[in-house]
Amino acid sequence: MSEPATIDPVTLTVIDNYLTSTCRDMGVTMMKTSYSPIFNESLDFSCVIFDPQGQMLAQAEFCPSQIGTIKFTVTWTLDELGLEAFKPGDVVIHNDPYRGSGHVPEHMVLKPVFFEGELFGFVANVAHMSEPGAKTPGGLSGDATEVFQEGLLLPPVKIRKRGVDDNDIWKIILANHRTPKVTYGDFRAMMASLDLAEERLHELLATYGADLVRRSCQELIAISERRMRAEISSIPQGVYTFEDVIEDDGISDASYPMRLRLTVGDDEVIADFTGSARQAVGPVNAIYAVTASAVYNAILHLTDPTIPRNEGCYRPITVIAPPGTIVNCEFPAPVAGGNTETSPRITDMVFGALQHAIPEKIVAACGGTSSPFLFGGTDPRSGDLYAHFHFEGVGWGGRQGLDGNNMVVTINGNCRNTPVEVFETRYPSFLIESYRLLPDSGGPGEFRGGLGGERLLTVTEEVTVSALLNRMLADPWGVLDGENGQRGGIWVKRAGHDSWQTFVEAYGTMSPSKFSGIRLHPGDQVKLVMPGGGGYGDPLQRDRASVERDISEGFITMERAVAAYGYGRE
Amino acid sequence: MVNSAGGVRVGIDTGGTFTDLVAFHPESGSLTTSKTPSVPTEPGRALTDAISAADIRPEAIASLVHGTTVGTNALIERTGARVLLLATAGHEDIPYIQRINRKSLYDLRWVKPKPLLASRRDSLGVPERLNSDGGVVRPLDLDAVRALCQSVKDEPVEAVAICLLFSYVNPEHEQQVRQIVAEELPGLPVSVSHEVAPIWREYERTSTTLADAYLKPLMDRYVASLDGKLQDAGLTTPWAIMKSNGGAMRAAAAAASPIQTAQSGPAGGMLVAQALGIQAGQPNLLTLDMGGTSADVGMILDGELRHTTEYEIEWGVPAAIPLIDIKSIGAGGGSIAWIDAGGFLRVGPESARARPGPACYGHGGTRPTVTDANLILGRLDPGYFLGGRMALRRDLAEEALATLAAQAKMSVIDLASAIVEIANENMASAIKMVSLERGYDPRRFALFAFGGAGPLHAAAVARALRIPQVLVPMFPGNASALGMLLADLRVDKVWTKAFRSSRVDAGLVSQQFAAIRAAAEEELRSEGFTGEPTVAYAISMRYAGQNYEHHVPVSERVIDDAALQDAFDAFERIHAERYGYAIAGEEIELVAFHVTVSGQRDTPRLQAPLGTAVDPHPPSRLVHFRGLGDVATAVYRRYDLPAGSNIDGPCVIEEPGSTTLVEPGMSVTVLPDGQLLIDARTSERGNA
Repeated sequence: MSEPATIDPVTLTVIDNYLTSTCRDMGVTMMKTSYSPIFNESLDFSCVIFDPQGQMLAQAEFCPSQIGTIKFTVTWTLDELGLEAFKPGDVVIHNDPYRGSGHVPEHMVLKPVFFEGELFGFVANVAHMSEPGAKTPGGLSGDATEVFQEGLLLPPVKIRKRGVDDNDIWKIILANHRTPKVTYGDFRAMMASLDLAEERLHELLATYGADLVRRSCQELIAISERRMRAEISSIPQGVYTFEDVIEDDGISDASYPMRLRLTVGDDEVIADFTGSARQAVGPVNAIYAVTASAVYNAILHLTDPTIPRNEGCYRPITVIAPPGTIVNCEFPAPVAGGNTETSPRITDMVFGALQHAIPEKIVAACGGTSSPFLFGGTDPRSGDLYAHFHFEGVGWGGRQGLDGNNMVVTINGNCRNTPVEVFETRYPSFLIESYRLLPDSGGPGEFRGGLGGERLLTVTEEVTVSALLNRMLADPWGVLDGENGQRGGIWVKRAGHDSWQTFVEAYGTMSPSKFSGIRLHPGDQVKLVMPGGGGYGDPLQRDRASVERDISEGFITMERAVAAYGYGRE
Repeated sequence: MVNSAGGVRVGIDTGGTFTDLVAFHPESGSLTTSKTPSVPTEPGRALTDAISAADIRPEAIASLVHGTTVGTNALIERTGARVLLLATAGHEDIPYIQRINRKSLYDLRWVKPKPLLASRRDSLGVPERLNSDGGVVRPLDLDAVRALCQSVKDEPVEAVAICLLFSYVNPEHEQQVRQIVAEELPGLPVSVSHEVAPIWREYERTSTTLADAYLKPLMDRYVASLDGKLQDAGLTTPWAIMKSNGGAMRAAAAAASPIQTAQSGPAGGMLVAQALGIQAGQPNLLTLDMGGTSADVGMILDGELRHTTEYEIEWGVPAAIPLIDIKSIGAGGGSIAWIDAGGFLRVGPESARARPGPACYGHGGTRPTVTDANLILGRLDPGYFLGGRMALRRDLAEEALATLAAQAKMSVIDLASAIVEIANENMASAIKMVSLERGYDPRRFALFAFGGAGPLHAAAVARALRIPQVLVPMFPGNASALGMLLADLRVDKVWTKAFRSSRVDAGLVSQQFAAIRAAAEEELRSEGFTGEPTVAYAISMRYAGQNYEHHVPVSERVIDDAALQDAFDAFERIHAERYGYAIAGEEIELVAFHVTVSGQRDTPRLQAPLGTAVDPHPPSRLVHFRGLGDVATAVYRRYDLPAGSNIDGPCVIEEPGSTTLVEPGMSVTVLPDGQLLIDARTSERGNA
């Protein structure tokens, strides 16, 4: 092949598409072969390709918060092990948040890809295991006070060496998880996706040659960086601030303010969280990688989505988060909820800060919680232990010209719910009585916040439950005179009682939304309420036809139409 | 349909723009075709027009299979019926909550798709509840169902969909609800989920059932109108409609389960690929059907079609019907070229469609399309498009490309070349997804290219994927209709029941297989089939704990332990083949049992018209090839070529509905049946 000075755009397009579709294909393998519903129904995983310098080359459309975090997971792994440690056929496994992982349940597997004897890069897959071996089934224990209570910690170690599984590592992991069979099936699926990606990269490299592919990747990174900077320079320069609060931490009722000072420069963004609260005792802390990832996400959502998603997108973004705070906690603070709860709130803060600068692009706050509800026990049908991480959608915030979407996962995620029929077939513990949109939960606005929902469950077998919810006390905020959305939460009605209670009232937990290891009995009922999104703009400006449609569709009640929108009073 | 000896067999495919007909005349063994404009306002006329344009007397027709986009279009354009949904009380919002994920990341402007319901108030809760074993947790409240029906009596509801939780395990409640609806709302068409899609996952099942009900009034009217027109014209044989899974069903059956027709046209194309691949001794094919707005790619392995149930009306709105596995991408002759914000040249998915069409059609299109690029490169003859019935205007094509060329700082000719190349790459990527991604090496297949534009692009696509051979059927522009005249009547039945591999009740499975086989056969006979049907059995399996199954064919109707063990071994082989590993000794879950009964007809040998000698001095024109520039290229009329002709590339082989391009370094042979076989192995391998 000749040595062209620059690579033609056609070749660049082809290589970019090939890398992205390889990441997608990894995901399909995961979905089709994995065991836990959190993978095969919810798709709570992400697939990426890196070069040996730890630069991201491509990603696919799975979970955005994981994609931002995995940068740090990979670079830590390469630093700790050193490039020379990697041999063809090796697979490294890793989940330690104090070594760059997002939180303990998220496990990364990573495989080096060699071509013609030379290291080309790495394929990696990060996925949320439904059972990490924490103090309570499913992890995310809402009252953990140390990372050690959140599951088995795995520093970057090789689970496969030169193509041969290390059974010692397997034994340690499987002995520590409550559901070893599921863990085994899920890890196999993850590793199979790496093998597939390696094979596909070999095809690409054989077709184009390693040199051309390498240079194309660097060129693509440069293009993405250039485009990202151009996009940022279209945001009015200035210093923008926003403040939000994490309502409690599961251990005390202390609240934790987060403060953002966002500087938009000529072609870069600096997000400075100096002044945020010190780290929490309970599991709502974000490690630095999670905070940075949440900011990346916000900026990626505000810029052109056709920019190739690689390292270049992240370069113009700087995140400052002082150590020892809730946005950059120090060892051994618990971190589980940092990734599911604090992270979407940080992303929303960036939108909130920019509401006057780019009102046409931002959204009001979304429901802001993944509603983690964990449960486990013994399945009487098989005698096996089971564990599940259940999560929910929320209402999205209103946008200029558009209402918020009803019941979609927070902006930081992109996972699917577990169908009622799959849920009840897999787990013996609950009957799902209802699963509905919640009228009036969307914040009033010229463009209404999306609706949250409600799920009602009746316990059918003895079960141990935990929760790590958020926005049970703090409202999803509206913007530009839009009103707040409705909060969410969790309540229990014990068998023989006829009223709903918080878990504080019923079981004396420290927090109504963050607790672990509560045993429920047949006949008890649980109500999960998912928050709505904040409204956008003055509700009195909402056009009447939309208000009437909301009434007729049952999205709002007549009382709300009169009270919030002045319906019938004009 | 069975008494076809002597009579003409006809396939008719109605698309948005044209109605294609292919007829097989058994006495002469010949094929005839016609292409007439579709008449959206009067669908019956399009069919009778096509029949008379082909000079066929309706009384002479022994069988007629029709492919239609009526259902597809109503789904895409959302012009179906107002449907009432009856769901398990507490779960009325299933169509609105969906799966809570989103189409693409980083898009705050995304709007969640709307279900096929006119209003959320049209989803009503039925008091009842089954558990995952099908046991009754809460009995069905019959009076409440009656009251619900009464409450909508004065509403302009046109159809009813019934979808209750766990009905795929135990259909009794759904059956009772249907009974009451029939009594209280007489005359309304009803779709019931355990019949339409007996699958788990309530959103997917509900969405499919809604889609079926949504199409029922429309399909009913369509079939009745067609039936009247055809009978008036003198058709004496019952006619059939093509299903998405490659089988045909009597028109009345199609009206009763219209969602089965959603991918009726593409299915015809896959049938013809299967038959002609076998006829040419090529049982392993990758297929490329490139038309005006999209390209469909698929795979045929060992002469067998691959099936799936993952079909979406739009992103997030599934219709889980059995269909031939085809991947569709926005790359057709009408796909528009544009430059994205980063300066990258892109092609599609936006299309100029039939109207205005590519700029060179002269119907007012101004944006550059793939067809315009092909014309500029000399790959299309402006005077012989549709056999010369439509003149293409090169000046308008050049005008359309000029603006974009200036933006891209390229010459018009280089831009045209890049547009074709990107369209080819997009198709190559799609083919990789259906082959490489599933562990199949494209180099071990032949590429079967059809659709108006497929044969023009196939050589380059084959080169990019190192596919050694390209097969171009006779009448590639009418291939879907050709496939329809091959379709067999087919009835599919499924029994949904879960077993673990260690605890299968083999006796019960045998019994059920026999029972659903009998039911399917009866249905087939009621559609007029009198011969000996072929029967195929399969079991859906997965490792206990996984959520997605594989279809494992089983040969024996009588299931015993040995037959089961064979099936488990087959499952492990399939798993290892697709994903690179099997888990030896792991428990396997059996979730559904399938029987397919088809009334197979003899597959006629399809023969194209042939000429007597290759013109030693063919006309030639300049065709632009990347890296070579303009090359003098011989031009042949396809049906003037005799069997056994072997012609070196570059050459262009033209026929009224399509153009085949053979690149420099390749060669083409005319097979005895008139198909073209391109040897796509070239000595030099450009890096695409």
